[in-house]
Amino acid sequence: MKRHLSIFTLLNYLILALVGFSMVYPFIYILAYSLNDGKDSMMGALYFLPRQWTLENYAQVFEDARIWQAYKITLLRTVLGTFLHVALSTLMAYALSKKSLPGRSFFSFYIFLPTIFSAGFIPFFITLQKLHLINTFWVYVIPMLFSFMHIVIIRTFLQGIPEELEESAHIDGYGDFQIFIRIILPLSGPVLATISLFIGVAHWNDWFTGAYYVSDKDLKPVQTLLQEMLTQAEAFSSSQQRAAQQGGQTIGSSVSGSTPESLRMALLVITVFPILCVYPFLQRYFVKGVMIGSVKG
Amino acid sequence: MTASLLWKRVWRHKVFYLFMLPGIVWFFIFSYVPLFGIQVAFRDYTFSGGFTGSPWAGLKYFQQFFDFYKSEEIIRNTIIISFLKLAIGFPMPILLAILLNEVGSLKFKKTVQTLSYLPYFVSWIVVVTLMQRLLTPFGGPLNEALSLFGLEPIQFLYNPSWFYQVIVGSDIWKNIGWNSIIYMAAIAGIDQQLYEAAKIDGAGRFRQIWHVTLPGVRNIAIILFILSIGSLMSAGYEQLLLLSGPPTASIGSVLDVHVITSGIGEGRLSYAAAVGLFQSVIGLILILTVNRIARKVSDVSLF
Repeated sequence: MKRHLSIFTLLNYLILALVGFSMVYPFIYILAYSLNDGKDSMMGALYFLPRQWTLENYAQVFEDARIWQAYKITLLRTVLGTFLHVALSTLMAYALSKKSLPGRSFFSFYIFLPTIFSAGFIPFFITLQKLHLINTFWVYVIPMLFSFMHIVIIRTFLQGIPEELEESAHIDGYGDFQIFIRIILPLSGPVLATISLFIGVAHWNDWFTGAYYVSDKDLKPVQTLLQEMLTQAEAFSSSQQRAAQQGGQTIGSSVSGSTPESLRMALLVITVFPILCVYPFLQRYFVKGVMIGSVKG
Repeated sequence: MTASLLWKRVWRHKVFYLFMLPGIVWFFIFSYVPLFGIQVAFRDYTFSGGFTGSPWAGLKYFQQFFDFYKSEEIIRNTIIISFLKLAIGFPMPILLAILLNEVGSLKFKKTVQTLSYLPYFVSWIVVVTLMQRLLTPFGGPLNEALSLFGLEPIQFLYNPSWFYQVIVGSDIWKNIGWNSIIYMAAIAGIDQQLYEAAKIDGAGRFRQIWHVTLPGVRNIAIILFILSIGSLMSAGYEQLLLLSGPPTASIGSVLDVHVITSGIGEGRLSYAAAVGLFQSVIGLILILTVNRIARKVSDVSLF
């Protein structure tokens, strides 16, 4: 019996270690690739560490004006979009957390109903067209201002704040807005951090809006740029394949230097890095957020 | 009297209505206006006519979709891909949560958990770029590792014989950690005395998992299952836009992507709206049916 248990334990640790490894290895690999000489990487046999260390790939990525512009768009939409989303959702959630508010259940239902049956892509797209949001910066921000789930998560959190706090503030002569700013907001740190992470990541990662609703090159975010490179790399890969089949030599004449692939990996690292720096520290909070979200939703 | 009392209560809450105003307007514009706009599926949409001014077309565009020689294939592909994701992908987070729960070392558990959330936080673009790099037959690390075992390089991406494995595998990889959060919480909520009692009754580790842990996650699993049945008609547009190409079109073209390419890509808005509406309606019917079955069989249901 005892022996049986330890085999299970061993196997369990082994499986989980493999799971953990599979989650992080791709990122280790692209980091190594991005720090390795591009032409050298094409020879393969690169696994964990760069063979010919270089910052050349990053230097070239940062020289590219297109990438700067895209990064600027991504940063701007993420900061602005996250701030507005969190501010407006919290206001709405605070109002909906007031049990005494006349019409509270009506408004809760009003925002819940569209989650059961959504109109789908096309009517939404036409709405964006009619609002003249297509091909503007605001198409990134305005359609993502609210989310039913986030409002529910914030509301549930706010309902946990003792009402006595607000009552005594009322007695001290605070108005409703002052109470919100001075009492409620300072106590809402954890839930605001959670929602900021959720919506911030959604903004940071959104490539679809940039690819389908925006045609102006100067308005494309980094993720859409990566998507365009993805399509190019596919074409590149198949031409490489053809060349290989014909026995042709695809590696250029010089032995070192960046390749489109090594630049792409450097850009990928730059794109992923900010998220990797943030999410582990917010883990405690977002786990709670997910629980509220799935229980209530 | 009561009317004026109500008015007084409303007036006392005036600031709160002001707080809600942006949200009320936003939900009206971005949720209710598109709902109202579903009617373009029954009209010949023109930009100047808009939602209400375009001429009626009846069921023309639904007819067009069902007459399209590929429509059956697209519906079949959507269902097969969703079904595979559900059948293989759905139990995975439960399994991960159970395995994590059996780990004694808190530090190890925490590390694996944190790592497992990582892919959830990156976009499908990043995931597909990673896959392209790691799986390429031209010096990709996976194929190089395979060649150590004497295997020939495999073209994994955009290859019909590896298509389902790639789609289901990458979906699991991206979401398993995140989806396990809720099951971890359910397991944490199980009364420890149940385990003690099971031990006293002579239950080993597997029987404890079977008789205590699994019943503990049952309800939440049923609810999440109902929810995923509702999206059986959508196979995940981001993933399939990126991971399906011309070589895999016959098994990889799905409804979601068809709506986007025919609607936004080709500008056939009424047609695409009709396909999208068909998709939503089937989804709604599915979720209501499964909900009803779940209520009868297990007493757990969404509504």
